[in-house]
Amino acid sequence: MQKLSPRDETEIADIVRAAADGASFEIVSGGSKRNMGRATEAGTLLDVSALSGIVAYEPDELVLTVRAATTLTEVTALLASRNQMLGFAPADWGPLLGAEQGSATMAGIVGSNSSGARRVKAGAVRDHLIGARFVNGAGEIIKAGGRVVKNVTGFDIAKLMAGAFGTLGVLTELTFRVVPAPQAAPVVALRDCTPESGLQALRDAASLPLEATGLAYLPSSISGPQFPNGVALIRVEGSHDAVADKTARLMKAFVAHDPIMLAEDTGAALFREIDNGGVFRGTGSDLWRLCVPTSASAEALSASGATNWYADWAGGLLWLELPATESVAAHLRAITAKHGGHAMLMRAAVQSRKTLAVFEPEPPARAGLTRSIKAAFDPKHVLNPGRMYEDL
Amino acid sequence: MIDLPIPDEKVLARRQEIANALLRIVPDGVVADRATLTAYDSDALNGYRQIPLVCVLPRNAQQVSAVLSFAARENIRIVPRGAGTSLSGGALPLADGILLSLTRMNNILDIDYENRCVVVQPGVTNAGVTRAVEARGFYYAPDPSSQIACTIGGNVAENSGGIHCLKYGLTTHNLMGVELVLINGERVRIGGKHAGDCGLDILGVIAGSEGLLGVVTEATLRILPRAPVTRTFLIAFADTESAARAVGEIIADGIVPAALEFMDRRCVDAVEAFCAPGYPPGAEAILIIELDGMEVEAEDVCRRVSAIAARNHAISSRECASAEERTRVWSGRKAAFAAMGRLQPDMLCMDGTIPRRALPFVLGEIAAMSERYGLGCCNVFHAGDGNLHPLIVFDVMKDDELERAEAFGAEILKLCVKVGGVLTGEHGVGVEKKALMGEMFSPTDLGQQERLKCAFDARGLLNPGKVFPILHACVEQGHMHVRNGRIPFANLPRM
Repeated sequence: MQKLSPRDETEIADIVRAAADGASFEIVSGGSKRNMGRATEAGTLLDVSALSGIVAYEPDELVLTVRAATTLTEVTALLASRNQMLGFAPADWGPLLGAEQGSATMAGIVGSNSSGARRVKAGAVRDHLIGARFVNGAGEIIKAGGRVVKNVTGFDIAKLMAGAFGTLGVLTELTFRVVPAPQAAPVVALRDCTPESGLQALRDAASLPLEATGLAYLPSSISGPQFPNGVALIRVEGSHDAVADKTARLMKAFVAHDPIMLAEDTGAALFREIDNGGVFRGTGSDLWRLCVPTSASAEALSASGATNWYADWAGGLLWLELPATESVAAHLRAITAKHGGHAMLMRAAVQSRKTLAVFEPEPPARAGLTRSIKAAFDPKHVLNPGRMYEDL
Repeated sequence: MIDLPIPDEKVLARRQEIANALLRIVPDGVVADRATLTAYDSDALNGYRQIPLVCVLPRNAQQVSAVLSFAARENIRIVPRGAGTSLSGGALPLADGILLSLTRMNNILDIDYENRCVVVQPGVTNAGVTRAVEARGFYYAPDPSSQIACTIGGNVAENSGGIHCLKYGLTTHNLMGVELVLINGERVRIGGKHAGDCGLDILGVIAGSEGLLGVVTEATLRILPRAPVTRTFLIAFADTESAARAVGEIIADGIVPAALEFMDRRCVDAVEAFCAPGYPPGAEAILIIELDGMEVEAEDVCRRVSAIAARNHAISSRECASAEERTRVWSGRKAAFAAMGRLQPDMLCMDGTIPRRALPFVLGEIAAMSERYGLGCCNVFHAGDGNLHPLIVFDVMKDDELERAEAFGAEILKLCVKVGGVLTGEHGVGVEKKALMGEMFSPTDLGQQERLKCAFDARGLLNPGKVFPILHACVEQGHMHVRNGRIPFANLPRM
């Protein structure tokens, strides 16, 4: 496959504009997300990794602008130096998808909408992306959004870029709102709960005014020797005084579940693994992510038949180790048809990602909209063709 | 004056026939007599008025769908409307357009505490959502100042914010799903009670699309457990720079207040004369700060805010001791528009957002402009996120005061963009600011936005004349809606 390595946004625009009829590009920056989504059949590899570096960081404004291929490692370190962070807890799925740890780029994170456990409180990638520059399928350089948080000027096109897997534009520059890092983020572990009662406990915790920033459940199959019966994890944040109060309330509210306070390091490490799908790193097995309303999580889980799994987002997200087959796909989508939600094939061999519907198939009216939107950004299907849906 | 599409004479001539067709769809919900239609001739940007062709008030999504497919079939323009509280003219009618009022679709369909959300029809008021869940200790966070009247459908269209969005986000951050009716009458569900991260983020562009993409017939909204403690501070400063610096330090300290409001001296004076909330005399600027959370958490933050106030030479800093006092302090803030409205018959409320660091500079420039234009102006705004609301007062009956006020407002917004901000933080572009879109976006940027519009509504029937400075046609190409070059709408000469 031919590979082009443009040095800047202008060169990307030139390349896309000059593309001959029938030409198409697979966009890569860090590389790991090539193994996610449908396997694309583009003719040319467009490597944008040269577009790296911080454009502007204004800690007092809580705003950060970076070039697209800046690594998560660099961004995290920069923000930490000013005691700040990205609010959506970006996931580093590199190791899960066969790439190196820390190689994930901000464009890849935005394109794949890699939001971690903090999503329950802080929202997803799209809620923190306040501006973007990109090259559309016609080779035009487009600016969307701005550098202030509160902005309703025109359509919110930056949001469309989050989760679009590069099918609408080649991202070149991204502006995020950032948040202050909390003084403390302790985790309370409920050690005596079945999946059902554990997921119920997470929903109950979400209804307390404690602003929990992590609500996950690990079953006994993966929770490790420290938690032989599985464990529900609840994270709260704030000043030292505030979290002492919040954790005391959690310990009291969930006393029936044998709660324990985890050491700060232990809790942080657990949630890092939850963000990153770390438990499935070395297994090589096929993985699905199933999103359902939290109240349906226990039923969806038992219907799925998975034995290796865990739950994030108060049960709203289920990571399931299940084979990438037609029958599993149909089975999971029967679950989402019943409860609402979607099933996405998170990891599988190229062949499976060519033949199966990786993303939840859309009903006709919505599929029509998706195609019209694609045409508005990339009418000739030049960018990441087939990455999300076969004909798109 | 603003440019609106020139009415299509052929449609105007068919008014009665169109009304009759709509009556067949909504037998008890068509307004066609001119006297009653006058009630719908403007929204809260009431300097602009236009009686609509006809108004239809559907009761359910099937009727909305039938109205839209009728309009699409007959090539008639549609203007959706909620409670008509838009400050940017988002619901300004068209002489040849059907006004689609959603106010009769005002049922709360589902309250789901387990999933912490409610499902409502678009005509439910913003405050009505909180009212429905507050007995169980929950509330709906976005709180635009018109929240008693404004509807959820309008909130979604405008991506409404409010005093508390600094901490809890705009409508888009609290919207989990919608049912959307497209111009061809198709009904599409986007998102729902689950986390919505699959497929293109269509919900993300629906919020704030100002009625140009589709009509929302159902919305799923996130509700939050109410914080047990709310503490309110009133802090006064002898100069605006100190107040602005305190705002910056609060945010930089990692504090996220539930609200952080700024009022300048002119505004304080006007409010004191209007409803005497007891603001400290002699202040050039006051901050109203609301901190919420658990008791211990709020106490900790209160201590830090007090220290910042002292460090920045606050001339007074007091915490509201009772619920009554808090209500009184907020009543002044909420009465700011009305209070300024007493100074002159007319008022323009601007809505730019700037980076916080530019606050002192921009306030100084606005004061200078006020002198130059010879018009009064005061500043009351959401300081935490840099969202300015300069209020310009004038008298439309005096010579050129309207023109001067509009020029003054436009200059403020251009300044906002120049210092790194944006034209509108929460009121929307509507008709009010569309001529200024070029300050922020290049023709190429706007072209991309227009193509997105075309993807939903290729013939430009939904709320035309809003948001975009110039209308361009979308040309059908095969099954895809692709704009072919930039051909101006031939039948839309400008006023």
